[in-house]
Amino acid sequence: MRRPVSLYGLTFSLPLLIWQLLFFVFPLVFLVALSFWTVRNFRLEAGFDTVNWVTMFGRPVFWQAYATTLAMAAGAAALTSALAFPCAYAIAFKLSPAARRWAVFLMVIPFFTSYLVRVYSWQVFLSDVGIINVMLGWIGLGPFRLLNTIGATMLGYMTLGFPLVVLLQLFSLVFVDRTLIEAAHNMRCGRLRTVFAVVIPSARVGLVIAALFSFILCFGDFVSPIYLGGGDPTTLSILITDTTKSGQQWPRAAVIALTMIATLMVVAFLAVRFAYKGRTK
Amino acid sequence: MQEPLVSFEGVAKRFGSYVAVQKMDLQIHKGEFLAIMGSSGCGKTTTLRMLAGLEAPSEGVIRLAGQAINDLPSWSRDTPMVWQSLALFPFLNVIENVEFALKMRGIGRAERRRRAEQWLERMQIAEFADRNIAQLSGGQRQRVALARSLVVEPEILLLDEPLSALDAALKVRMQSVLKNLQRETGITFVYVTHSQSEAFSMADRVVIMSRGKIEQIGTPQEIYRTPRTRFVADFLGSSNIFPGQLTRDAGGRAAIATPSGDFVLAGGGQGATPGQAASLIVLDTKMQIHFQPPPDAVNTIEARMIGEEFIGATATIYFETGAGQEIRVQKSHEELADLPLAVGRSFHLSWSPADGHLVPE
Repeated sequence: MRRPVSLYGLTFSLPLLIWQLLFFVFPLVFLVALSFWTVRNFRLEAGFDTVNWVTMFGRPVFWQAYATTLAMAAGAAALTSALAFPCAYAIAFKLSPAARRWAVFLMVIPFFTSYLVRVYSWQVFLSDVGIINVMLGWIGLGPFRLLNTIGATMLGYMTLGFPLVVLLQLFSLVFVDRTLIEAAHNMRCGRLRTVFAVVIPSARVGLVIAALFSFILCFGDFVSPIYLGGGDPTTLSILITDTTKSGQQWPRAAVIALTMIATLMVVAFLAVRFAYKGRTK
Repeated sequence: MQEPLVSFEGVAKRFGSYVAVQKMDLQIHKGEFLAIMGSSGCGKTTTLRMLAGLEAPSEGVIRLAGQAINDLPSWSRDTPMVWQSLALFPFLNVIENVEFALKMRGIGRAERRRRAEQWLERMQIAEFADRNIAQLSGGQRQRVALARSLVVEPEILLLDEPLSALDAALKVRMQSVLKNLQRETGITFVYVTHSQSEAFSMADRVVIMSRGKIEQIGTPQEIYRTPRTRFVADFLGSSNIFPGQLTRDAGGRAAIATPSGDFVLAGGGQGATPGQAASLIVLDTKMQIHFQPPPDAVNTIEARMIGEEFIGATATIYFETGAGQEIRVQKSHEELADLPLAVGRSFHLSWSPADGHLVPE
């Protein structure tokens, strides 16, 4: 049965529709088109040539960066989720409602400051003459190379994702039915075991969505891998900037960007399907 | 006398300044079906939760099989409970739900599957073993919840208003399922409910609670026939209550003076002192209705009929005395056949002193 489109409904949905068309669909279409253009004498020429796709997909360095980015984003999602969970759990189950409100407020504060600023402040801590190495020096240790490592990149990824992941996990944990936890205790399920047997399965959708957000943020992030990781190993976001800088290769950069978008879509789809697996409508 | 399975010794529970349960003493015997009944907020659920280890008593000792269990965490007790919401795990299917408690006890996969299947069979839900909880009807979920708690073959089962979400017909069916289950297994059932019909139809003994205090403990018959406090009489709603003052009538017999008249008490009033405030309780089935004043009756009142209500084989007739007190009388249709019943008409109500009893005010 087709429902007639009402003017009233349209009034409210139209701005969003136009916005989406202007700033999502059109750029995406342009990006797809761009990926088939060519560059001659540092100049873009419109056309239809699959050379960019063939070139990029034929380069080991692209696949290396792809694997690195995928692994690092997945690692960051897993690590952030694992570290955020005890925090979200404590806020949801151990704090009084008043203290919980404060905790949520504190979790929002990091968003007040630009991510870039927060990453720069990590440099102050991590560099060879930074706060941590100076303090280690007092007790005769170091200096250690902390900056320009994968660990530093991970720290940056967590700076990006941690508060959001805690909040998303928290909002799914507060809706876990407390009687289910009591029922588990009642059936000889101890405290820690209940977390794994009851709390996590109950909050699964929120936990998976939180990890997915962390993955999405880190997969496309440029700031942490360059300012904390020193650009090594190369991630796809770094590869994009390198490609545009070297010889105005915008079409090849478009290929990378489109591959990233496709990857994110597949990952998001799989994650949502996993989150709702076994649930009946 | 055998040692009770559970005993509450001076147990009290406070939440801040709110007293949920006042110093309570209660013994639960092995193999009995005990119902704890009361209106909401009377402390019945708190009592059950303390027994399950979900609340810690503020005071007193709870013993299970002789051992104090106050400090035993919930997961170290064998006191399975059926929740009002059933608390089935939505992320597990039917048989996984039933297996849960066995898994927690470290019983092997094959053995727990076998025992779970046995209970599904027994509860007549074997065909739903692989279903999701969301796909079951209310009655089927009920059976899953029972199977899940009983699969560990406990000594005691706690039930917190498990039937309240079911419709009336299903409720009656599940009552007989529960009663039979209890009889067959011999497991002690502690059943919390606000429903008189559930408590009275299933339980061997009923505990009536009000404001965190036990008002009366007894068999359903005892409680129905002789409510021990004014609250219980009021709560059951099947008694006529005449509040008044103890006195002696002209013949020196113990009596009670009420706004509706003076009534003679049985057995000399059990040593009651005149002047004391008390209430006379007369069961609605023990009252007689006469159109003409009965010549030989000791206790009579004249009252105007104000309404009638038919429930199956019996009818309840409502009267109002000159003092404005409402009186209910329950009779079979045969007993009423000869009376010219009509709303607004005056009748004489009588009862034998032996059918009335006193409760303290």
